Amino acid sequence: MACQTAFFGLFLYLLLGAHYTGEDYIGSTVQRFFHFDPLLALVTIVSARLVYAYFAFALITVVATILFGRVFCGWVCPLGAVHQFSSFAFKKTKFLKPPREEKSSLAWKYYILIIVLAGALFGLDLAGYLDPFSFLTRSFATAVFPSLAYVLSSLNGVLYGLGITGLARSVSQALENWTINVTFVQGFSIGLLFLGAVALNAQKERFWCRYLCPTGALLGLLSRGNLFKLKIDEEKCIKCGLCTQHCETQAQPYPNEKWKSGECIYCQNCASICPTGAIRFPVSARPEKMTNVSNVDLSRRKLLLTTFLGVVAIPFFRLTPVHKRASLKLIRPPGSLPENKFLAKCVKCAQCMRACPTGALQPVLTEAGPEGIYTPRLDMKVGYCEYYCSLCTQVCPTGAIKKLTIEEKNKVKIGTAWVNKSRCIPYVLGKPCIVCEEHCPVSPKAIKFLEIETKLPDGSVAVQKAPVMDIELCTGCGICENKCPVRDDPAIFVTSVGETRSATNRLLLDITKETPVDPYK
Amino acid sequence: MKRRDFIRDVAAGSLALRFGPEVFAGQASAKAPALQLAAVEGESPYAITKEAVAMLGGMKRFVGKGDKVVIKPNIGWDRTPEMAACTNPEVVKALVELVLEAGAKKAVVIDNTTNQSKRCYVRSGIQEAVKQAGGDMLFVDDYRIKKMALKGAWIKEWEIVLDVVEADKIINVPIAKHHSLCRLTMGMKNWLGATGGARNQFHQSLDKAVVDLAAFFKPQLTVLDAYRILVRNGPQGGRISDTELMKTVVAGTDPVAVDALGASFFGVAPRELPYLGYARERGLGEFELEKVRLEKRKI
Repeated sequence: MACQTAFFGLFLYLLLGAHYTGEDYIGSTVQRFFHFDPLLALVTIVSARLVYAYFAFALITVVATILFGRVFCGWVCPLGAVHQFSSFAFKKTKFLKPPREEKSSLAWKYYILIIVLAGALFGLDLAGYLDPFSFLTRSFATAVFPSLAYVLSSLNGVLYGLGITGLARSVSQALENWTINVTFVQGFSIGLLFLGAVALNAQKERFWCRYLCPTGALLGLLSRGNLFKLKIDEEKCIKCGLCTQHCETQAQPYPNEKWKSGECIYCQNCASICPTGAIRFPVSARPEKMTNVSNVDLSRRKLLLTTFLGVVAIPFFRLTPVHKRASLKLIRPPGSLPENKFLAKCVKCAQCMRACPTGALQPVLTEAGPEGIYTPRLDMKVGYCEYYCSLCTQVCPTGAIKKLTIEEKNKVKIGTAWVNKSRCIPYVLGKPCIVCEEHCPVSPKAIKFLEIETKLPDGSVAVQKAPVMDIELCTGCGICENKCPVRDDPAIFVTSVGETRSATNRLLLDITKETPVDPYK
Repeated sequence: MKRRDFIRDVAAGSLALRFGPEVFAGQASAKAPALQLAAVEGESPYAITKEAVAMLGGMKRFVGKGDKVVIKPNIGWDRTPEMAACTNPEVVKALVELVLEAGAKKAVVIDNTTNQSKRCYVRSGIQEAVKQAGGDMLFVDDYRIKKMALKGAWIKEWEIVLDVVEADKIINVPIAKHHSLCRLTMGMKNWLGATGGARNQFHQSLDKAVVDLAAFFKPQLTVLDAYRILVRNGPQGGRISDTELMKTVVAGTDPVAVDALGASFFGVAPRELPYLGYARERGLGEFELEKVRLEKRKI
């Protein structure tokens, strides 16, 4: 318990720490957790057909699991800690009354694992949706932290109202210091999914870990030959069944021969609840009997069927136009790989969204096709790309966003800004504005101005400075769109065309350079 | 802050507001007429700032014991001091020290920035400078922005940063920069950083908005940083080649005269800046420098 709390605390601390701290380069933050995750390692390496060195850490988890079983699930996993704590709370409050013996099939998570692995063969990264680290990070970054910050700042309004200004001020300064963005396009649905996952614990203890977690399933497969086997002292056992009733993961300690080492997470609940102290986990090199494999009804027939379904269903993900043509509003963070490689590597953990100082990075819903849900894109109406910032590139755990220095980042074009002359204030209304030009961060500016004539409704002619794009200088940062006084549909806006990462989504003829390799071939 | 402190401060503040100006005016008029404008050139931005304030009669002329003073630099952009997009941190540091030495209870430095506040505060070097000088640096808090009556010629009401207007004394510390719409941004334009709301709309009548804001905030002292000025790609530049060294600080009690003198660093005549004309019409000050008690010095 202390161990889990410590890891959960570390996780929260590192995730909160992934922001602009006053230093341009932040050291390792929560992405290090991801490097210990064998499922993310396996899927990313297979789907991207590329070895990412940081995933060597996952070998530690693999070796530990082979030797000691699923201790990772029971002692380290921060999402496991959330589930264990909420299960405990539901039990204490009598919402959850575990039955004497649980019969539900434990096989679902293995089927999920098979589908995820089948996807990886096709270059599809599905691991991020149900991987515990991705799920937890995404939920906290785009829903839990933002809603907590929202609550705190609402309380602040009350504090100011009551004249408790000192405290209110400290809270508001802290929120600004920790840069917690409170606007996330899908914060609502991601938050509900997280609450749903927690609420399932009222149904079955550690519901997620028992039935859903593909990472747990992978570790379960690895742990079957581990050294620590549950042993019930037959002489002491009074056959009360408490151990099986309160087993967090339905590993069924009693009777001894039914115990499933692949399900056991070594939480030691059974040993501590046993009234006669009959349960121990002695070292034993005895290999697991295969009967225990069939205990999670992984019959060959069903395995084959799932694999077949996975292989047939995966191509459905690919029947979208995003692979033919870049999406207008799919503006990926600077340093993102070409779209296909990006999708193969992105684990949808939303760390980039946590790190983004302006909140521009938002979870995608439709722009990137079905396999791109929850991947990041810049929404310039919410934020924009800060000129001297490369934080999103620093926190990406899989290299879907390549690590960039600020100098490198400023050479990357993420899109191109366009002036909508039928909405722009000087062009249409003949009034001065050029807010966009003022905010353009490159020097010389990518937004220049020319004096133009506008015919006004009374027939008179106004002469004003109006913005014109110097496309080659524009990096697509989007501050112009963000600050444009035309709030609803800004008169200057960024689209993805011209993005450095793509060999096809290009705009300007450049015969001086050799044709870049088309990443889609 | 404790409630007791708050009540005491409010009481003291309102007393100061009621009786303050007359008391100070009485003291000042007893001596020879004080300088309105002091321009000091020199190698150290810190030293020339202190010298310029001393020439005006010292900080005690502007700040009383126990005052809460707000110092408003331009920290609008995420740029280092060499880019001349934000006020020089050494200038701010000198002022915070002077304000605290003059007996102020608090010296608060604040700006409603354009880029992420923390970035601007850090990269401009101002956060570190203020910390060293013992002042307080504050991020603008949304709950501390309220719509207020400006009673301007053009803007009747606008969202204002309360921490600025609730101070006993206000010191404006702009930097002299090129601006593509109002040509130059110096002291009066700096007040956009004490407003909130849809302030980008000010651009639709910037020269008038600037004057309305300057008339509303009425700083006790304006200190213009022209140590390194931004001559093109304003108001944020981005390259050192966009800047020029002038190594001067201008301090003054007349905000219009400060901006008029600032314009000379760019070779711009005050008459060419429409907002200076509007400001004079509104009685905010004088832009014809011959009519101003002015002294220039080199150290």
